[in-house]
Amino acid sequence: MRIINDKRILVAFFMLWASLTMAQELIKGRVIDDVTEEPIPGVIVTVVGLDFKAETDAQGYFVIEGNVPEGDQKLSIIFNGYYSKTIPIVVSLNEVVNIDPLYLVQDNSEVSQSQGIISLTENDLADDENAANNISGLLQATRDQFLRAAAFDFSATFFRPRGLNSEDGKVIINGLEMNKQFSGRPQWSNWGGLNDLQRNQVFTMGLQPADVTFGGYGGVQSIDMRASQQRPGTQISYASSNRSYQGRFMASHRSGLLESGWSYAISASRRAGDEGYFDGTLYDANSIGLSVEKKLNDSHSINFTGMYAANRRGRRTAVTQEIVDLKGAEYNPLWGFQNNQQRNSRIREIDEPILMLNHYWDVTDKFRINTNVSYQFGKIGNTRIDNGGTTLREVNGQFSFEGGARNPNPDYYQNLPSYFLRNGSDPIDFQYAYEAEQEFLRNGQLNWNALYEANRVTASQGDNALYVIQEDRIDDDQLQANILFSADITDDILFNGGINYRNLKSENYALVQDELGGNGFLDIDFFSDESAAEVQDQLNAAQSDVNNPNRIVREGDRYKYNYDINAEVYSAFAQGQFKSKYIDYYVAGNVSRTTYQRDGKYENGNFIGNSFGESEELDFTNFGVKGGATYKINGQNYIDANAAYMTRAPYIRNSFTNARQNNNTTTGLESERSYSGDLSYILRTPSLKMRLTGYYTQFLDGSDIGFYFTEDLTGLPIDDGAAFVQEAVTNIERRNVGVEMGVEYQMTPTFKLKGAAAIGQNTFTNNPDLYLTSDDFAGELRFGDGTVALEDYHVAGGPETALQLGFEYRDPEYWNVGVTANYFANGYIDVSNLRRSANFIQDYDGQVFNDYDSTVANELLRQEKFDDYLIWNAVGGKSWKIGDKYIGFFAVVNNIFDIQYKTGGFEQSRNSNFRSVRDDQNNPTEVFAPRYFFGNGATYYVNVYLRF
Amino acid sequence: MNYINNDNMRTFKKLLLMMVLGAVAFSCVEDDDFAVPETAPVNVDAPENLQPMAFVVDQIEQSNDEMVTFETENVFMEGYVISSDQAGNFFEELVLQDAVENPATGIKVLIDVNPLFTTYQVGQRVYVRLDGLTAGYSNGVPVLGIQGNGSIEKIAPARQDEVFLRDDDVFDIVPTMVTTNADLTRDRLLTLVQFPNVQFATADVGRSFAAEPDDQFDGLRLLQTCDDFFAAPIRLETSTFSDFKANRLFDGSGSVTAILGRDFEDDNFVISVNSLSDFDFDSEVRCNFDVVSCGTASGPGSNTILFEDFESENFGTAEPAGWTNYIQDGSVEFTVYDSFGTNASLGRSVNIGSFRSGDASSVAWLITPQIDFDAQMGEVFSFDSSNSFSDGSTLQVLYSADWDGTEANIETATWEPLADANVVSDSEFFGNWVSSGNVSLDCLSGAGYLAFKYEGSGEEETDGTYEIDNISVTSN
Repeated sequence: MRIINDKRILVAFFMLWASLTMAQELIKGRVIDDVTEEPIPGVIVTVVGLDFKAETDAQGYFVIEGNVPEGDQKLSIIFNGYYSKTIPIVVSLNEVVNIDPLYLVQDNSEVSQSQGIISLTENDLADDENAANNISGLLQATRDQFLRAAAFDFSATFFRPRGLNSEDGKVIINGLEMNKQFSGRPQWSNWGGLNDLQRNQVFTMGLQPADVTFGGYGGVQSIDMRASQQRPGTQISYASSNRSYQGRFMASHRSGLLESGWSYAISASRRAGDEGYFDGTLYDANSIGLSVEKKLNDSHSINFTGMYAANRRGRRTAVTQEIVDLKGAEYNPLWGFQNNQQRNSRIREIDEPILMLNHYWDVTDKFRINTNVSYQFGKIGNTRIDNGGTTLREVNGQFSFEGGARNPNPDYYQNLPSYFLRNGSDPIDFQYAYEAEQEFLRNGQLNWNALYEANRVTASQGDNALYVIQEDRIDDDQLQANILFSADITDDILFNGGINYRNLKSENYALVQDELGGNGFLDIDFFSDESAAEVQDQLNAAQSDVNNPNRIVREGDRYKYNYDINAEVYSAFAQGQFKSKYIDYYVAGNVSRTTYQRDGKYENGNFIGNSFGESEELDFTNFGVKGGATYKINGQNYIDANAAYMTRAPYIRNSFTNARQNNNTTTGLESERSYSGDLSYILRTPSLKMRLTGYYTQFLDGSDIGFYFTEDLTGLPIDDGAAFVQEAVTNIERRNVGVEMGVEYQMTPTFKLKGAAAIGQNTFTNNPDLYLTSDDFAGELRFGDGTVALEDYHVAGGPETALQLGFEYRDPEYWNVGVTANYFANGYIDVSNLRRSANFIQDYDGQVFNDYDSTVANELLRQEKFDDYLIWNAVGGKSWKIGDKYIGFFAVVNNIFDIQYKTGGFEQSRNSNFRSVRDDQNNPTEVFAPRYFFGNGATYYVNVYLRF
Repeated sequence: MNYINNDNMRTFKKLLLMMVLGAVAFSCVEDDDFAVPETAPVNVDAPENLQPMAFVVDQIEQSNDEMVTFETENVFMEGYVISSDQAGNFFEELVLQDAVENPATGIKVLIDVNPLFTTYQVGQRVYVRLDGLTAGYSNGVPVLGIQGNGSIEKIAPARQDEVFLRDDDVFDIVPTMVTTNADLTRDRLLTLVQFPNVQFATADVGRSFAAEPDDQFDGLRLLQTCDDFFAAPIRLETSTFSDFKANRLFDGSGSVTAILGRDFEDDNFVISVNSLSDFDFDSEVRCNFDVVSCGTASGPGSNTILFEDFESENFGTAEPAGWTNYIQDGSVEFTVYDSFGTNASLGRSVNIGSFRSGDASSVAWLITPQIDFDAQMGEVFSFDSSNSFSDGSTLQVLYSADWDGTEANIETATWEPLADANVVSDSEFFGNWVSSGNVSLDCLSGAGYLAFKYEGSGEEETDGTYEIDNISVTSN
């Protein structure tokens, strides 16, 4: 047994203790892990029903001070990841109760389940835009029954608690914010697979005060990766799943605080799979994490944490109902066989190491200063097939760009049966449709050989590649530093504050990642408008960089677009938490200044003079205030209320409408304002726990940028109404209102019933402003009064109604099982904004269509509500103690009955007006039908671990 | 490493070992570094049941409804690719001819695949499996596809590999040399032809290939052979979806290699190129015709040398005193007539047209009296012309200094075009009269004759009528 031999610390500890308090110390002890026999720091020990409590120190010791009434009392020992314990004691003034050792048994289901949820966040949530917006990843450390349901059972459906997005919550590691400045969302992949070093997490719900940041509406997940805070031990685990990766190997070792004052923790993992639940979604991730800490003396400690999680994923895409009906929900058109191996054309690679230095300074035992610096660098890459390869022909001083190919994706609309039935029902149309259907059923995957053959042929003619793999890169360099203060001003007043600085340089460009056997790629825009009157204008328009026209780029070269975004944020927050007998309350405020600037490296031919060099500098000053109180009716009933008003700088992605081509900033861009309030009733009896909350959040002045190809825009020439556009929507107002409830009833010490319910409405509350820009037309194109009629439409994103009923059984013999039934309803499609603008009713010349029928129009514009569905999940696990080692497994089966359901979807904006939408919907099968994301069918996840 | 005790070190080593083992055991994702797959076509033996392309075209001719569907299994047709959709001027069609050189026929295969050039290179030999395909005429050219409702439609993409057998042989196609529009014949349809010496019509120079506001689907531009000033123009058709649609027509002259086709209404031969590279033009040099050109004058002179408005002539053969009216070929001649309404004459005028003449060839002359250009200064020539569906026929304005005035020697004398005389164009509304402009004859010396020469196309059903009047020569 390895325990602390250094008696000096012990002596010092008691001397310190004695000098600090005159109060009696009647109860003390030491909390030890029953397997490893290591002390457990941070355990809360309370006298049940009374206001006496203590927390174990680094060596596991605790002392409860104060005048604890004599007689029979109960001591409750609670710690995250362990089975809680309640033990009877007899308090006597004459004798100190000393419980040493006090063994706590690890609750491995907790550990494993949180691994399960981390795997969920890093897999599903990082997968696509829709999913990356999910906040559930934050919730894994919560003990709140409702939020646990949201994290473990609701998240697969992209249910959003209170309708919030991941940018509404904050992820903090070692005191530093991890949300990205581009989107405001945490990039889970940056620390995926390092679960073993992230056990120390605190989740602060909603607006409630977190110690390290002002936070947001969605709460704060604060992860402490300090080496000294890691529970000592070694763990090896292997997980198998059919969701995203097929196998995960993970190992970690944590030293605990060594005699020398050093501590270290290291973890490494590999997650891999050729495909997950969806076809062709390869997974390839290696992670390594290291924390080293040196305790310089009692008041100073320095920690280094390094994280490197390299992650490659094969992506999937949203598909139409027609495709699902033919190929099933697992179908993924993005891959094909090459040399008999699956190859996915869209690979997301995230490779962004983070280095941190943290200094912890206990100025006094009541005043602490924590200084943190981090540097993050690396890349995010997303690949796709570029089918716009051309060759420059120069004949007698005239130039033309020959080549370009059709979209090679097998789910391209012209390959599907619906396309052949869109305008007619001649026998030949049916024949085409039938043959297209058979071909799609038979093959239906990407034909890599055709791409290679095309490039072989063009190369043999001395021409450039027709197809290449384009990688869209974001190479970020971010420096962040902050100082956090924490002061116990009195026993009942806690003050927190901090100042923070972030500096981001983000390089954005496209790269030729693979020439696919071709012979260089001509860097011009094949889709540029060739009809300009002057030959020179045509030539210019096609250039990505007129300063270096007609470049042939090779593998590894940048092309298409190339610009930097420079962003800087200064912020500060202050917060006071006050406690009194009946009421605890807090107030907090923050202030920040944010600047963004684009710096173009290419002079795009469509935007000469507004492309190369620096843009206008955007500058936002923001603030927020919040406050809340908990009223303790008695020891079992509480009322909790919170309110906030805040403004938030727009994210980078919404600040520049077309950053790939020009310096334009979004017209009408404002900081988003919001206010919110919630009110809860909380009941805590020994057997029944319940929380019921009503909430209301109003967002104002929001903005959103989208990109798509559309046809039939009004205000453009009759035969030239099609364009690839950027859509800027500003002045968005939306409201999230609803109730949520979580309840758990401990029927017997081993059997628990639980339930959760969320019923909400997330709707737009005004008609925002909309305009389009494009390189196909000049200026900003607006329709009618310039608004988009979104009022009362639902904001898309997961079901608004989620209900759960379930039970958990925990056998004293260290096994457990749980089953939940989860019902979801009121999920809505993401509507096309353009269709809700005046463009919908207007012909090319701005006149209302002469066959416009508002009854039909209302039907066409009705927001699709997804079907409701019921999903059953089961969890179970068991652990064994073998000698001083610990072996266990944990298994989850999700969606036991393999229910097919839509997690999200969007209307395509290609058909943008009354006639085209009506005509397409009248087709036997809609050609530009909505595209959907589907949830996983029945999946499993099994984790086996060994700990010693 | 004094802070790590031995115990720790051992654990650490064990851990490292396990990590390495684990990493090896799970390194299973195979998607990196894909080798370039072998995709090139392989040499294939000619299929056994191989029919010449002419057989396919003949079958169309012989069928009742000009459409034939091939039912026999495993019948193939050999062809050589001559079209390319690389520049977008051909779309979802592959033009094949039956030989590398001196082709006897060509055919267009319709298939709903794009791009095609990446699989079928120009010059590549392919074998087309005819089973189930239908051949027929579409817009005047033989096509192969599948049978639609009275039409021939594209082959579905799913059948591409079944229909086309691709050989690895790629040949240099030798285009058939042609000089004038008259060389364009139906038996050269859908084959590769080359005009060695042509230029774009002066009126078209400066325009784009197919990006003018009135270009719908195709842009039609006129080429002129340098070998014959009066040869009917060659029609170049370019898709408005081609990559070079907005390029400017070349201003010089040179050769063009193109595929011969018919226009949409099957009225005229048209040629279409695969690429801008099919033009080999010298940008400086325009065609060098043997013509008479003194430029144009600002107006007629005050002194009339010759004026003929036919008002005092009788209807019938136009032969004012001193003039010569001569039929070289056929039966039609320049005739005095009058007409009213939308196609009115200018009082009495002269017309000629071989439409419905029944003649295999029509050539006729109307020649002025001799004019002595040394007797005065500043001669200016002018006339008015009009036409009525003159499509295939031409009206030439000529000058000869060596004709002796006898009908017998008309054909052997040297007649040079009067380059600056503007004759009514085909596209002019039939009711309109067009002035020739004030054609200067100031640079001529000695004595000579001016002549109007009518030439039918050889296919009289496409010939039309020209009308002329107010023929005038003045001087200072």
